[in-house]
Amino acid sequence: MEKMHLPSDFLPIFIQLGLALGFIITTMLVTHSIGPKRNSKLKDEAFECGIPAEGDARTPISVKYFLIAILFVLFDVEVIFMYPWAVNFKSLGWAGFVEMLLFMGLLLAGFYYVIRKGVLKWE
Amino acid sequence: MSFLVLIPLLPLLGFLINGIGFRRIPKNLVGIIGSAGPVAAFALSVYAFISFQAQGSAPIHVHLFDWITVGTLNIPFAFQIDQLSLLMLLIITGVGSLIHIYSVGYMHHDEGFGKFFAFLNLFLFFMLLLVMGSNFVIMFIGWEGVGLCSYLLIGFWNKNTNYNNAARKAFIMNRIGDLGYLLGIFLIIQQFGAVEYAVVFEKAATMAVDSPAIVAITMLLFVGAMGKSAQIPLYTWLPDAMAGPTPVSALIHAATMVTAGIYMVIRSNVFYSLAPDTLDLIAIVGLATALLGASIGLFQNDIKKVLAYSTVSQLGYMFLGLGVMAYSPSFFHVMTHAFFKALLFLGAGSVIHAMSDEQDIRKMGGLRHKLPVTFATFVVATIAISGIPPFSGFFSKDDILANVYQHSKIMWGLGVLGSVMTSFYMFRLLFLTFFGTFRGTKQQEHHLHESPLSMTLPLVVLAVLSAVGGFLNVPEALFGSMKLSGFMAPLYELAAKANPVAFAHQHLSHTQEYVLMGVSVGAALLAALGAYVVFVVKKSVPAADGQETGLQKLVYNKYYVDEAYDAIFVKSMRTASDLAYSFGEFMIDLVVNGTGKVVKNAAAKLRLLQNGATSFYVFMMVLGITVIMLWNFWIK
Amino acid sequence: MLPIVLLSVFGIVVLFLGFSKSKNILLPATLLFLLVTLIANFVDWNHQYLYFNDMLWGNNASMVFSGIVLLSAFFVVALTRGFEQEGEAAQPAEYYGIMLFSLVGAIMMISYENLIILFVGVEILSVSIYILTGSDKRNLRSNEAALKYFLMGAFATGIMLFGMALMYGATGSFVISDISEIIGTRAWNEQSQLLYAGLLMLLVGLLFKVSAAPFHFWTPDVYDGAPTIFTAYMSTIVKTAGFAALYRLLAGSLASLQDYWFATLATITVLTLLAGNVTAVYQTSFKRMLAYSSISHAGYLLIALTSLTAKSQSSILFYSLAYSLSTVSAFGVLILVSQQQASNNYDAFNGLAKKNPFLAFVLAVSMLSLAGIPLTAGFMGKLFVFTDAAQKGTIWLLVVAILASAIGIYYYFRVLIAAYFKEGDLATIRIAPFYKVVLIIVTTLTIVLGLFPDLVLQLV
Repeated sequence: MEKMHLPSDFLPIFIQLGLALGFIITTMLVTHSIGPKRNSKLKDEAFECGIPAEGDARTPISVKYFLIAILFVLFDVEVIFMYPWAVNFKSLGWAGFVEMLLFMGLLLAGFYYVIRKGVLKWE
Repeated sequence: MSFLVLIPLLPLLGFLINGIGFRRIPKNLVGIIGSAGPVAAFALSVYAFISFQAQGSAPIHVHLFDWITVGTLNIPFAFQIDQLSLLMLLIITGVGSLIHIYSVGYMHHDEGFGKFFAFLNLFLFFMLLLVMGSNFVIMFIGWEGVGLCSYLLIGFWNKNTNYNNAARKAFIMNRIGDLGYLLGIFLIIQQFGAVEYAVVFEKAATMAVDSPAIVAITMLLFVGAMGKSAQIPLYTWLPDAMAGPTPVSALIHAATMVTAGIYMVIRSNVFYSLAPDTLDLIAIVGLATALLGASIGLFQNDIKKVLAYSTVSQLGYMFLGLGVMAYSPSFFHVMTHAFFKALLFLGAGSVIHAMSDEQDIRKMGGLRHKLPVTFATFVVATIAISGIPPFSGFFSKDDILANVYQHSKIMWGLGVLGSVMTSFYMFRLLFLTFFGTFRGTKQQEHHLHESPLSMTLPLVVLAVLSAVGGFLNVPEALFGSMKLSGFMAPLYELAAKANPVAFAHQHLSHTQEYVLMGVSVGAALLAALGAYVVFVVKKSVPAADGQETGLQKLVYNKYYVDEAYDAIFVKSMRTASDLAYSFGEFMIDLVVNGTGKVVKNAAAKLRLLQNGATSFYVFMMVLGITVIMLWNFWIK
Repeated sequence: MLPIVLLSVFGIVVLFLGFSKSKNILLPATLLFLLVTLIANFVDWNHQYLYFNDMLWGNNASMVFSGIVLLSAFFVVALTRGFEQEGEAAQPAEYYGIMLFSLVGAIMMISYENLIILFVGVEILSVSIYILTGSDKRNLRSNEAALKYFLMGAFATGIMLFGMALMYGATGSFVISDISEIIGTRAWNEQSQLLYAGLLMLLVGLLFKVSAAPFHFWTPDVYDGAPTIFTAYMSTIVKTAGFAALYRLLAGSLASLQDYWFATLATITVLTLLAGNVTAVYQTSFKRMLAYSSISHAGYLLIALTSLTAKSQSSILFYSLAYSLSTVSAFGVLILVSQQQASNNYDAFNGLAKKNPFLAFVLAVSMLSLAGIPLTAGFMGKLFVFTDAAQKGTIWLLVVAILASAIGIYYYFRVLIAAYFKEGDLATIRIAPFYKVVLIIVTTLTIVLGLFPDLVLQLV
């Protein structure tokens, strides 16, 4: 038997949502209106840790950082496939093994390509 | 029978090679390539003829592909080979080959040699398509195509404005006819829902005699035939068409294209047999054309013009025959006419060639010594066309006249009158050109020579055919067996079933036939004798231009038909189009420019939306989605 | 299935071929691979197959659509000339590899049975195209185009994914035939609101890919900014694949709801026709005009889709083919001319016919076909599409379409006027033999299909 959901069943969720939103909005409004405002040059600076900020925040960073980061994500996520496979290793049998081999083969081909392209060379 | 496809394709191939390679292929090769296609096509046609008879003379249908399919109407690209198309094939490729070979000699000095052969081959392709097609639409393609080639070839020497005007005249007059033909096809589609001969005729055969639809279709188709086959009132283009090179006149304007109208009527004999009214009209138009053409021919001084009017007149005879349902005799005349008229034109070409492009017979004379082969063949052709036995013209013309006699004695009388005139002007031409003394300049006389073998050979072949061609269909009165008529008889079976009354006519007794033959032959001989007396014994030469008087002047100027057409149609058309032009100029400018401006302004405004800001683009997308959602969920 | 596997493997192979010293091998190798795939594509002819747990469904129609995509890709790749002109910064191996990978996406979009495959296909194709758009790394406009396309594409993908989720919520299935079955049990106006919202959003996502108004704004900027060869690539392949996908969605699962989506889609069709054709009038750049022309052709294709008659599929198929062929040859000429003149404007074509009659002829056939003049494939395509609309009985749509194509003649002929009637000092352009052969084939096909449309139509 499937359970029927009436719109009224969702009421608690809406109450929760209303409360959450209400609290945040109220707090923000109240702090803005009752707090005192004293602006000064020093206070408006990005950091107040002693050393004056220099240059632009958007300095170009070598693209290699991004590449490494993306490659990390790629090879990291791949592990997600391995866990379920490992858990079901026996029931998947040889077919599963071959499929995994294929997958790893493709991944390694990509890895080889990355190395040959010199992405990991840091000079 | 798939080799049949090659018959039209070979000339097309020749056209493509010579057309694309124009000015790059050496002249000798051009001639060989240009002639090889027609000759091979002729060989294939003969083979087709033999195998057609071997397999029992049943019509062959070659389906190539489905060309147009619209709703229930299906127009296949297919060929139908039966008695009629086979005979046409033989004439077209046979005479065509001879004329191609002749052209090798005749056109050799022309700088447009390759172009000429390309066009000639293209013409053959379309002509073959015309006679081989298995439905009216394919015939129409051929019909238009030959018109186009005729236009191109009449205006072949396109540096001369008069020639170009002649080409245009031919094209426009043909267009008038084509319009009628096209309307006829539309009516056929509307009536029968098909264009295939087999289907259409099968359905038509069940209709009543003189039903309005059939009469309308036959009339419209006949308008097409009038244009293509130069009948009154659309005949004036044919004499002007002599502007083209002489082999063109022989091939297109004597032997093949102009007989397309006759082919079409015989092809549609089921229609025509069911429409006696149309047949009467055809007979009258044919007779009138025959007389008119012959009478104008009497006083022409241009060798090709005489032959042109003679062609108009002979085509008139063929239509006269069709009008009295003498389909086979008419076709017989198409055949013999193809032989002797092609021969006459080629002979005339040989004369013109020898005379350094002089065409006026008043400046010729006594050529028989210098051009013996041309002379001999020309004599054969003249006797043949005049209807003097035993040459071919006698048999075919007599066959037509015998049928006309059964239909109406007055028509027969007028027909004989026409053949008297024919005999007179032909012998006049012969005597003025080849007898007497030379009347041209010294230079021309010095240059006189017989033509090369490539030109005389076709002449001889055609002369033999003109002489013996008549034996194909010798009447029973002369102990013959009417072979051709017997061969073509299956073509009319359906029509005879549909309208048995029209086909049930009594035969003439042999005595009657002898009398008829005697009268027409005697008249022709008398006319020839008259011509001999006037032009050989008395040595009279036609007066110079502008000195004719009275009736002669009227006839010499072709009854002023061209001038009348010019005054009535061309002038009024000009005025009307001037009016329409100035009005249209204003209105159309208003509408066209107005629309253009609106669109341009709208474009200028719309263009601004494309401002390059991604945020705006996304905003527009969101707006679009919002509107779609709002509309679908709240408004609808 | 087989083409997908082959293309994936070939893509990797091409990437590795890029390591070899001689770059000359890349172009022939890619062409060979495409040819092999094209043949392999038709191996299952007259059979239907379901693969990947019934997620892909191949039939004759999908094979022909894939064939069109592969053929267009073949022609475009043949026009790349190995990217010799692009200089040192070019990465031919990567470009070819990405092109092959993108075709995997296109084929998935064409033969999906499960909405997830549609999504994956769209993403594979789009991401590849984003990269190709920005491949001219040192060119600011190329970068801008790539970023714009990516941002808007991501947005549209989000909408599409949302739509799929909503449809799943309404029907409990991603499989389009199942969805069709579930929808079929109820009348069109008694469906769940979730389904309606879902299908509208899914449509919006796909319409964005084929650049239908008002989701077309990216098209001119992206087409203009991308390297010309990739503009040719995306305008042919994305459009064909997108319309195949739309057709499969509408015919395969939402046909019974036609009364619901008809008005929306018809409005979008009209907007697209107007936006594309009217704006194109004002352009001075030939390349940008082709972008608008691509929008307007999306409009014509939408007519067939909106009408959704029994013949719509063959109309869309024929139209896509005709459009792809003409577009390839138009871009083929543009590439040569713009290289010589360093400009994409109409004036660059001035006097083209004098010294380069061949290129002018190719251009003329292509423009005539795009404008829908008889004896070209484009005319037949328009005829079929208009017939569909007439069959559905939407005469007003037909009127708009015919007016739009009348406007089209104006801007298509402008380039022909420049090429044939204007004075210019364009020197003879040297055309590589292979390049010439491709142009000849494409032009011939355009004319042949204009005369014998049955050659393709009878396939489906």
